[in-house]
Amino acid sequence: MSVGLAAPVLAEPGPPAPQPEVSIPPRRPWAQRIGRVLAAVLKVALLAGFIAPFLWMLSTSLQTSAESSSFPITLIPEVPQFGNYVEAMTSGPFLTYFRNSVIVTVSILVIQLALMIPAAYAFAVYDFRFKNILFGMVLLAFMIPGQVTFIPVYLMMAEWGLIQTLLPQIIPAMTNAFGVFLLRQYFMQIPREIIEAARLDNASEWRIMLRIMVPMSIPALATVVLFSFVSHWNDYFWPLVMTDSAAVRPLPIGIAMLRESEGISQWNIIMAGNVVLVVPILIVYFFAAKHIIRAFAYSGIK
Amino acid sequence: MKTQRLLRAGIGIAAVTSLTLLAGCSGGDDSAADSNSGVAPEGETTTIQFWHSMSGTNGESIDAVVESFNASQDEVEVVATFQGSYPETLTKLQQSIPAGTGPDISMIERAFVPLLAEAKVLADLNPFLESSDMSEDSFVEGLMGNITFDGELNAIPFNRSSPMLHVNKTALDELGLEVPTTWEETEAVANALVVKNGNETSRYGLTMNYESWWPISLIVQQGGSFFNEDGTAIGFDEEGVEAFEFIKRMQDSGALYYPPTTDSGNVVGQMFLGGQVAMVVNSSGSIGGYLQNATFDYQTAFLPEGERAAAPTGGANLVMLADSDKQDPAWAFLEWLINDPEGGQRFIKDTGYVPFTPAIAESEEFVELFEAEPQRKVAYDQLANSIDTNNSPHFAEIDQEFLKTIQAIMYDDADIETSLDAFIERANAILAD
Repeated sequence: MSVGLAAPVLAEPGPPAPQPEVSIPPRRPWAQRIGRVLAAVLKVALLAGFIAPFLWMLSTSLQTSAESSSFPITLIPEVPQFGNYVEAMTSGPFLTYFRNSVIVTVSILVIQLALMIPAAYAFAVYDFRFKNILFGMVLLAFMIPGQVTFIPVYLMMAEWGLIQTLLPQIIPAMTNAFGVFLLRQYFMQIPREIIEAARLDNASEWRIMLRIMVPMSIPALATVVLFSFVSHWNDYFWPLVMTDSAAVRPLPIGIAMLRESEGISQWNIIMAGNVVLVVPILIVYFFAAKHIIRAFAYSGIK
Repeated sequence: MKTQRLLRAGIGIAAVTSLTLLAGCSGGDDSAADSNSGVAPEGETTTIQFWHSMSGTNGESIDAVVESFNASQDEVEVVATFQGSYPETLTKLQQSIPAGTGPDISMIERAFVPLLAEAKVLADLNPFLESSDMSEDSFVEGLMGNITFDGELNAIPFNRSSPMLHVNKTALDELGLEVPTTWEETEAVANALVVKNGNETSRYGLTMNYESWWPISLIVQQGGSFFNEDGTAIGFDEEGVEAFEFIKRMQDSGALYYPPTTDSGNVVGQMFLGGQVAMVVNSSGSIGGYLQNATFDYQTAFLPEGERAAAPTGGANLVMLADSDKQDPAWAFLEWLINDPEGGQRFIKDTGYVPFTPAIAESEEFVELFEAEPQRKVAYDQLANSIDTNNSPHFAEIDQEFLKTIQAIMYDDADIETSLDAFIERANAILAD
């Protein structure tokens, strides 16, 4: 459920593409106007389609229990029930869940960046033996679904006595094969002359990587970070499998516990929990989106 | 969602294989009744891990009961942890038992008990019952199906339910209709209750949640059985066709609304409470929520009879793990749950599951409760008609096939006879393996 909720956030249309009207041969103005109106209608319809579930979640989170389960559905709550948020957040150790989510996700992102950037740089810039085989192995890692590995990984973590800690949620996610792949492609587009010039200026390889390559790859990095953040922040199954106690569990499991195991679910409370879950994603999205746009505008790469 | 569940079931089966091997290596566990196992030194508290699948208000009820136990004495401390839905809890057990990180006590959905019992990872509870002057007779008979294997008692009933007919009596009264007790009456009443607005149905007569248990009970009501006596093959034939023809007829006439697979319990519940359907076949576990939210005269009734009366049971049992080195303190908790009014009795009262011991049902509290909420008494009384639907370690796997068959018939109008024949063939192949 939580993964689904992230979709409208990700899928929100970006800034409208500049209209290449100038180069188009002159058309009759009415045809042009109709075309523009149609495009606008299409965009609004698309936007509405993607944003509606989000607004519905927000609205449901402020409804009374009766409103949230009534037919036809209530669009706007009569009296906003902010108490739903209090109820959702006091039904369990939510502060602990939230703290765990932050620690796990931030650790994963930091470690992933630290491992992914040098790996991608090496694959993009150097030639070495077995390079293609090694890169093939990275791609292979990116194709294996988590469900296949969770039993051996669990046994390994149990053997090391880590089940009652946050580490089983962090360690298996330290590497990001998709990120290595994407970043390598991006690094490869950067003209070799820039690297050669830096080398002539006696810049160290680390310096070239961190001061030249990374700033020029912000769009790719922002994309990778955003995807990685959303998937780890929303992850339910892996933490559920890897943890046995509330003390080390993240937010999505706390939200799942709001759902009724049998009988009638309190959708208003569940949605309040989901809003809390989604807000950090929105914050990171807005932050990343700004960088993606800026990076495209100033990077000088076409 | 569906594929995910299937995938997990598949992985689960793979896990069980490795689990069986590992259980074999550990040299068996006949130390269940060893009176010295896991007794803490004087004055120290033993911590017992208890895994469950209760979320929402049911989860709060579990927490309250466990808290009450922990406060009642200072030798045993129970830590109750939510481990996801029933299938997720099973998955967790399947990997944690071989890893040695399993709990002492766990809640297991009724249908999954045979799977773990066959793998020999569950403790025999009979010696513990004897040590507390109890026996299998201490529990409601209708709930004791498929928890005894090779003479061992591998689980005790706990949060159990049974499918019932939930009725909007106000709607029936307006039309002068009686609550149906047979298939024929059900069909007539369901059709009479339909309200149409032009082409749109504003009220259906009957709906059911997307589960296999009502179709299975219909088959049993016609004299069939899901598995044959020794569990080697499917035990019905014509009865299946009759069962599906019955519900399909009502669907075709517009009397029966068949819900989507996802979240069907909530969907039909909300339709029932909102007046879009007048009768629902759903778990007795819904009684609490319906009682709280119904704005009409809400009643419950036995499942309508075919050739005979039959109702499966659902919900979950509690098991003790054979691996646990704290079986005595774990039993102290289980015994308290069974017998103390603050234990299972309070949980059953708060949640709406059916009493699992006659003692709970006959307690003063429940006599009064049954008087005030007769809907709940019906659920308990219906346990006299209980049937076994899944006494096979292969049930979970075969149930997936059966659900696919239900989907083909109810959504895609597949031919009933051919679909069922194909199902029986596939299921028998699984059983023959």
